[in-house]
Parts: sequence; C-alpha cells; structure tokens
Amino acid sequence: MSLHLPVLIVVLLLAASYTVPLLDRYRRGLTLPVTILSLITAFISSLYLLYLIGVQGPFVYHLGGWPPPWGIELYIDYLAVYMLIVISSIGLLVIIYGAKDLLHEINEEVLSWYYTLYLLLMASMIGIALTNDLFNLFVFVEISAIASCGIISAKADRRCIEASIKYLILSALGSGCILLAVAMIYMITGNLNFDYVAAALPEALKLYPYNIVIALGLFVVGFGVKSALFPLHVWLPDAHSSAPSPSSAVLSGLVIKIYAVALVKLLFRVFPPQIFEAIPILDVILFLSVFAVMAGSIFAMVQDDLKRMLAYSSIAQIGYIFMGIGLFGGRALTGGLLHIFNHAMMKSMLFLAAGLIIYATGIRNLKDLKGIGVRMPWTMGAFAVGAFSMVGIPGTSGFISKWFLALGALDLNRPFYVAIILLSSLLNGIYYFPIIIDAFFGTKVDPVSEFRDVPALMLIPVLILAAGVIFFGFYPKPLLDLVNKAISF
Amino acid sequence: MESAIFNFLPIWVVMFPFFMSMIILIISKRSEKLRDGLSVATAVVTFLSVAAMYPFIISGEIISYTIFDILPGLGITVRVDILSFSLAAIASFVWMLVSIYSIDYMSHEHGGDRYFPIFIFTLGSTLGIFMAGDFFTLFIFFELMSLISYVLVIHEETKEALRAGYKYLIMTIIGGLALFFAIILTFELAGSVSLNEGTLIHAPSTLAFFAFLSFLVGFGMKAGMFPLHVWLPDAHPVAPSPASALLSGIMLKTGAYGLIRVVFHVFNVSVVKEAGWDVLLGVLAVITILLGSAVALTQLDLKRRLAYSSVGQMGYIILGIALLNEKAMVGDVFHIFSHALMKSTLFLAAGAIIWKTGLRNINDLHGIGKKMPVTMGAFTLAALAMIGIPPLNGFLSKWTLGLGALEAGAPFYVVVLLISSLLNGLYYLPIIIAAFFGGEHEEEHGEGVKVKISEASLKMIIPIAILALSCFAFGLMPNNIAFELSVKAASFLFNGLP
Amino acid sequence: MEVITKLLNNYYYFAAMILFVIGFHTMLTHSNLIKKIIGMNIMDTSIFLFFVSIGYVRGGRAPIIQEGAGYLYVNPLPSALILTGIVVAVSVTAYALSLIVKLYAHYGTMDADEIAIIRAREER
Repeated sequence: MSLHLPVLIVVLLLAASYTVPLLDRYRRGLTLPVTILSLITAFISSLYLLYLIGVQGPFVYHLGGWPPPWGIELYIDYLAVYMLIVISSIGLLVIIYGAKDLLHEINEEVLSWYYTLYLLLMASMIGIALTNDLFNLFVFVEISAIASCGIISAKADRRCIEASIKYLILSALGSGCILLAVAMIYMITGNLNFDYVAAALPEALKLYPYNIVIALGLFVVGFGVKSALFPLHVWLPDAHSSAPSPSSAVLSGLVIKIYAVALVKLLFRVFPPQIFEAIPILDVILFLSVFAVMAGSIFAMVQDDLKRMLAYSSIAQIGYIFMGIGLFGGRALTGGLLHIFNHAMMKSMLFLAAGLIIYATGIRNLKDLKGIGVRMPWTMGAFAVGAFSMVGIPGTSGFISKWFLALGALDLNRPFYVAIILLSSLLNGIYYFPIIIDAFFGTKVDPVSEFRDVPALMLIPVLILAAGVIFFGFYPKPLLDLVNKAISF
Repeated sequence: MESAIFNFLPIWVVMFPFFMSMIILIISKRSEKLRDGLSVATAVVTFLSVAAMYPFIISGEIISYTIFDILPGLGITVRVDILSFSLAAIASFVWMLVSIYSIDYMSHEHGGDRYFPIFIFTLGSTLGIFMAGDFFTLFIFFELMSLISYVLVIHEETKEALRAGYKYLIMTIIGGLALFFAIILTFELAGSVSLNEGTLIHAPSTLAFFAFLSFLVGFGMKAGMFPLHVWLPDAHPVAPSPASALLSGIMLKTGAYGLIRVVFHVFNVSVVKEAGWDVLLGVLAVITILLGSAVALTQLDLKRRLAYSSVGQMGYIILGIALLNEKAMVGDVFHIFSHALMKSTLFLAAGAIIWKTGLRNINDLHGIGKKMPVTMGAFTLAALAMIGIPPLNGFLSKWTLGLGALEAGAPFYVVVLLISSLLNGLYYLPIIIAAFFGGEHEEEHGEGVKVKISEASLKMIIPIAILALSCFAFGLMPNNIAFELSVKAASFLFNGLP
Repeated sequence: MEVITKLLNNYYYFAAMILFVIGFHTMLTHSNLIKKIIGMNIMDTSIFLFFVSIGYVRGGRAPIIQEGAGYLYVNPLPSALILTGIVVAVSVTAYALSLIVKLYAHYGTMDADEIAIIRAREER
C-alpha cells in the first residue's frame, strides 16, 4: 500500500478535482470540505513519504507496474518530497483562506470549478516534482499551465481575462520550447526516462553536441518563461496582481518555483556535467538572475498598486532562486532551494495579507493605506514580518536563505554576487518599509468609511505563515537537513 | 552550583525585559499607573540582575555558553566578560533612571501605551547586544534594537519626525546589510564568528579588508561616525527627550562596542596595525570629532546641538579604539561611561526644560537657570564635564585618552582633543551663562499673561540630579568603580585574562 | 556540400524547424490574438511532426505485431506520445479561444495592442 502512495497522492487530488463539480450539483456544501480534506491527506502523505525515504532511502515507483524504459517512472527523492511538503502545506493554508475570500472575488456558480482547477494545479505540481519521465513532465507542465491560467480567469473581471490570455500564450510558448527539447533529447537518446537519458547523454554529447546544447537552451527558455526569469517575466505582473488573492498567493508562492525545480532536476540529474564546460549555461542563468534581482526590485519600487508591487517583488525573489542554481558548486544551491520554501511562505503570506486588506477595505493603492495598521494590527503585523523576511532581517527565514546564497557566492570566490544580494535587500527595504510605516505611524486619516471585519478563518492562515517565517528563521535545521539531502545529486 | 546561577543571569537579563514588555503592553490598556510602575520595576530589577553579576565578573571569570544552534557553527550564544558587563551595567543604570523620568514626561504625551513596552523591549535588546557571545547573536539583537528604536524616534509622529525616522530606518538597513556582509565574510574566512576564539582572522587580505570595512560601516553607522552620522542629528532631537537620552547616551555605544569587539576579537591589535587600518579609524575619528563639535556650534535648537555634540563625543571613543594601546583603551571605556552619564543628563535636563516651557531654541533660554535651578545646575555640571573641567568625569576620560595618545606617539591627537574641548566650551558655556546670568525676554509671550515657570516634578528632577552627581562622583576619585572597570576591561582586551 | 546533403537527408527535421520558427514568430509578433493562437498551433504541429518523424522507420509498418512475420515496424512510442500532445494542444486552444471570446465581449476587439490602448485610456 505504502509503495503506491506516491501516485496515490496525484490520483487522489485528480479524483477530488473531478468529484468537486459533481458534488456541486448535488451537495454543494461538500465541495469545500472535500477540497480541504484531500489537501490535508496530501500533506500527511507527503510527511509519511519523508519518513519513508528516511527509512529506506529514495525509491522509484513504476506507474502501472511497467518498468522503464517503457513505463512512466516516479522518483521519490528528497527534492521531490521537499517540494511535496512545500506545495501541500502552502496549498492547504491558501485554500483555507480562500474559502471565505473567494466568495466575494468570484461568482458563486464557478466557485466549485475554482476548486477543481486548484486541485488540478496542486496535482500537476506534485506530478512535476515526482516524475522521472520527460514526456510526463511535459504533460504535467501543460496541466499546471492551464490550471494556473484558469484560477486567474475564474474572476469575471476583464483585466483577469486579459492577464490570463497573456499568461496562456507565453506559457504555451514555453511549453512548445519544452516539448521541442524533449523531442530532441528523445531523438538522440531514444529514451524519455531521466536516468536512461542521463546514462546515454555523455556518449551522445560527443556525437550530437549541438542537439544537446539546443535542447538545454530550449529547456532554460521554456522553464524560464514559466518561472518568470527576468527578460521572460512580462506576463507575471499582470497575472499575479489581477488574480483573486488566493490565486496570486499560490501562483507567486508555488507555481513559478516548481518550474525552477524542474529545471534543477534536468540540469543536475539529466544533463552530464561536461555540458557546463561546453556552454556556460550556468553563467547565463546567473547573469539573468542578477538582472532579475535588480530589475524586479527597481520595478517594484515604482508601483502604487499593492499586489502589483508584490508581483514585481516575486520577479526579484525568483532571481535569488535562479542565482542559487547559477552558483552551483557551493552552498548557494542550498540557499536557492531553501528560498523556495521561505519565499513560498513569505510571498503567499504577503499576498494573503494584501487580500485581507482588499477584503476589509477595498483599497489596493499604496497611498491610501495610511493608518491601516491601526485598524488591522494582526494583518499588518504579519505583513511586517513578511517584509522583514524579504529584507533579510536575522531571525526571519529570509535571512537564512540569503545567508546560504551569500556563503555559496563566497565559496566560488565571487563576492560580487553577495553585493548584489545586499543591494537588492536594501531596495526591498526601501519599498516595503514605507508601507509598514504608513500603516502604523503618521497621519491618522481614517482609511475608509466602510470597513468589513475579517473572518478569523482568513486571518489564521496568514498568522500561521507569519509564525512559520519566524520559526524557520530561528530553527531552520529540519529544512536545512532536507535541502542538503535534496541537492546531493 | 554558583556558576549555574550566573550562567542563567544573562538570559534572564535579556529575556525578562522582553517578557515584561509584553505584560506592559497588555496591562497598559487597563491602568496607566500599573503600566508606569511595572516599567520602572522592570528596569530596576534588570539593573539589579546585571549588578548581581559583578562579583563573578570582577573575579576575572567569563560567562560563556551556547543556548542553541540556528545553523551549524552559528547559534545564539551568551558571553559576558568584563567589557560586556561594564557596558551592560551602565546601560541598565541609565535606563533605570530614565524610566523613572519617563513617567511624568510621558504623562502628557500621547501614545504612552506604545512608548513603555517599546522602551523596555529596547532595554532587553540593548543588553542582548552587550551579552552576545558571537557576532551573529550580536547582529540579531543589533537589528532588533535598531528597528524597535525606530518607534521611539518617531514617537511624536510629526512630519519632521517621520522624515528623520525614515532616514534612520534606511541607514539602519544599510548598516545591517553591511554587518551581514562583514559577518558572512568573517564566517567564510574563519569558519566561526564567536567571540571566544580570541582572533578570528590572523592576517590582512583583500577579503579581510572588506570585512573590516563593512564592520566599520555597520557599527560606525550606529556610532554616528563620519560620514555615516547623517541620520543622528535628525533622529535624536525629534525623539521624546528620555528616548533621546537613551539613543545618545546608550544606543550609540553599541556601535562603539561592536567596533571594539571587531578590533580585538575578529582581528587583533597586530593585524590592525600591520594593515594600517588604525590610521583609517584615526582619520575618521578626528573628522568626526571636529565636525561634530564645529557643527554643534551653529545649531540653535538645544537638542540638535546636543545631538551634534554626541557625534563629536563618539569621535573620542573611536579615536580611543584607533590608538590601539592599553592606556587609550582605559580612557575609551571610561569615556563610554562618562558620555553615557553626561549626555543623558543633558538630554533629560533639556527635556525637562522643553516639558516645562516648550522652548527649544537656545536664544529663548535666557534666565531659565533662575526658574529651574536644579535642572540647570545639573545641565551645567554635565556640560562642564563635557568640556573637560576637572574634577569631573569628562576630564578624567580625556586625560587618560590624551595619555594614551602620547603613548602611541601621536601628540597630534592631543591637539585635536584640546581643540574640540575648546569648541565644546564655546557651545556649552553660552547656554549656561545665558541661563543663569542673562536677562529674561519677558514680553515675548505676549498677552501679558506671564507663564509661571518652576521646576519640573520630582520624578523628573531626581534622575537628572543622580546622573549629574554621578558625573561628579566618577570624576572626583580616580579609584571609583567605573574607572576600575575600565582599567580591567582594557587590560583584559590587551592581555587576556589576568 | 556536406551540409546540404545532411540537410537533404534530414529534410523533415528541417521542415519541422521552419514550421516551428514560423509559429514562434507569429505568436510573438502578431497582435491579433486569433493569429497568435494560430501561430501556437503551427508551432505545436511542427513539434508533433518532428516527434513522429523521429519514430518513423523507412519501410516500416504500423506496429501491430504479427508473430513470425518479420516485418519492420515504426517506433510506436512517439506517435502515442503525440496523441497526448495533440490532446493538450487542443485543450489549450479551446481555452484560449474561449478567453478571446470573453475579451471580445468586454473590449470589442481581438487585437492585443488595441486592448492595451483602451486600458491605458481608461486608467488615465
């Protein structure tokens, strides 16, 4: 039974996602409990998988009992389980929040369809994390692309529709690149399984170097578009800022990172290390990540829409993760992967906090947020924790990932990147702190006449995430152990 | 068994104020009296707890242990040696007096409910800095203190205060990031950031220089060292006076404390000398001293003048570090004591005047000495100590610093000390003279309603008086506790344990 | 010369690449959303053709194995995969078209640039 667990998580979420619309027709009250219950199950199963690989080590699962090279294989290693835990925990908290928030953001008729898409998105992300097969990876990538566009366009607002078509087209572009790369790899190796491809590639590199280089380039572009690496980020600000707040939270918190993880798996598990000598792909990623970090922060500074600012900040933060990939070889990748979880916590919390503010007051513009902290001390307190973590104040989890990124840069004797990290932290401070200051201090203009009280169910996930940011800032050991095992390729 | 209690004390001293600040926050909604009382009680208990470490520390012991590891080789650690103890003692002493002073001062300011918890919380984090066992722990408390004291700076929430506070905050972030850089470089070079190692980096190199420079930026920013002092003259005057007293009197010293630790624990005297970084420190110190004193002359706002004077005085302390010899270090540590006492006296006295009269401009203070003799008396005593008139404590610290400079073979620094004393005289004496001997501007208030000005309340006067008297007491005999601690701390830094 | 023979021998790869670039270019440069979707489909189709051509074995038959007949079979895996790929492409197309319909209802145009202009005007 426990051996089938990896695929059961995906199957369970898929099944739940198809059950929800049916339930919507006959037992509308059950849709939300089913959604939440399936995510809780996924979370618990992820923890059990962690225990399992702790006991017996990483293992493979053959889908339908077909061994490779014919069948699809799932590979349950620490990296996959790490992502599983990140996805299921954050996903669970966000949907608990969303239960109330979505009522006012999207029409009631499509509410259960939203849950369908949400579960589909979770299933596909977990699939991406688990799969050990190139084509299967592509299929999950496509599912998550459609599902993530879907949870943006679920809001019947024309800006959302416009943002989601922009996202969809660029995402399809990325998928095309990925599929072409898969085809090229298949052409020269005759395999789709990661391990088989990895075994065949060093030999193939001598015969068909260009194909492999092009495939690698296409993978970087494809996953780069999807995870909004700097020059390919154009879709993100619109998509993440106009979407309903729970969607923004998972999109910024989880979706853009799972593609980075997929790229990590491909780069370090599939492609032979010799290829990094042939073409400086890591340096290209590093170069782009520097631009991402700086440009994202600078763009964020000039925004006046709260969620748009957070979206630009995500571009900068994804830059950190790619910087960790680009600085492969030292402790930087640890920092990059840690930042996946840390940023998932911070950014989804910030988006949810922004959602709370919009829920309570309807205000999105930063200039109108003066004095909001007095009305909503808990929300803005959590927001402040997230902002501190973004800046990298010690005692928050953001500090830990920056610490490892910087150590990794020093390991490779590249202090320049430490300076970039610090400079962008300063920029983060410059755009996050005024919000907090305005919220708590200064002119006490009553923000709005109409003020809706925030339900506790919406506040609790935000507070849990804030507590998580502080907890993992002081006790990062469990995460760190997990990540260090995850990157021992 | 006995040492177990002493091991517990540093944690208690840091955690107790944190804990109490939460209690005060909750209680302040119920009763103002209870809030004030609890704040004072917390400060007193904290001071007594710090003082309780005295017999253990003075016998040459060091309290040092790890509470828990955050990352491998990087944890929350505690370490109290004689230097830590000295600074913690003076900090908690001044804090205790200021807490008493705050009660009446805050009674007709808004937001006391916010002020007192933050006030006590800052006490905890400041003591955390002094009792940190490694640079990482120090960094955490340093950031905590810097960010929390932002609330003290902008307490009045005027436009001016918010602007100054923003400047302060940005400088704090820059300083924090510089410290981050410095600490990570040290960690990379030495594999540890603990204070117990003695010397972490044994030879100068380019990276080591970057580390030193970043430490200098991080701690120098806090210490108000030129050219990173720009936030200080804005931030200190806008804060409520008791907060300014602490900002100027104690929190600036955390930067100086950090620099001392950097020079003696990250590097050591010979490395710094070999690399010639002491020259850099010395030059910056001289500029800071002269600039602070000279600009203070031009300020008309009383608290602004005091703030610039703080810049100048911090220059002395940095100079004392730059001289790199034991005698200068005695003067240095003693000046930390002296300046803490003098500057808090001056700020509290200024606060009392502003509280009573609302006057901030120096030109309006004519004849105030006759109305508020005790306050102005204390002010005079502290100002004279600033100038360095014997037998006040300012004289003693300058004298030892001067001796240290001569020992270092740098009489030039003595000249700088003298010039700045002269400048101190130029900007303090007119205030005193005008206050006691100047005629009053009677009709300035118009309407013929003469505001009767008298002394501030007793709760405010007593702390001022105690502080001023201790300026006197610590200068009178060269064998007082503060001086003895300074001698021991300096000898500890240079020679290790006795 | 060698290059040309190589190209001629692999003309189907070459054709697929040309199609891919056409599709890619159309998607990026055309502002008409329908044209973008057409470009997307051209791009996807090119990859499908590419994939299928990889699996083709000259003279091979459909892979329905008859014991002992000794036929040469084409590789069935790419075709099977592409079936999935086509399904995905169709669903993305359908979703995109439905979004375009909605956009048209809101803005009265299907041109991305015009929509941007309308929005910029409204925001001002």
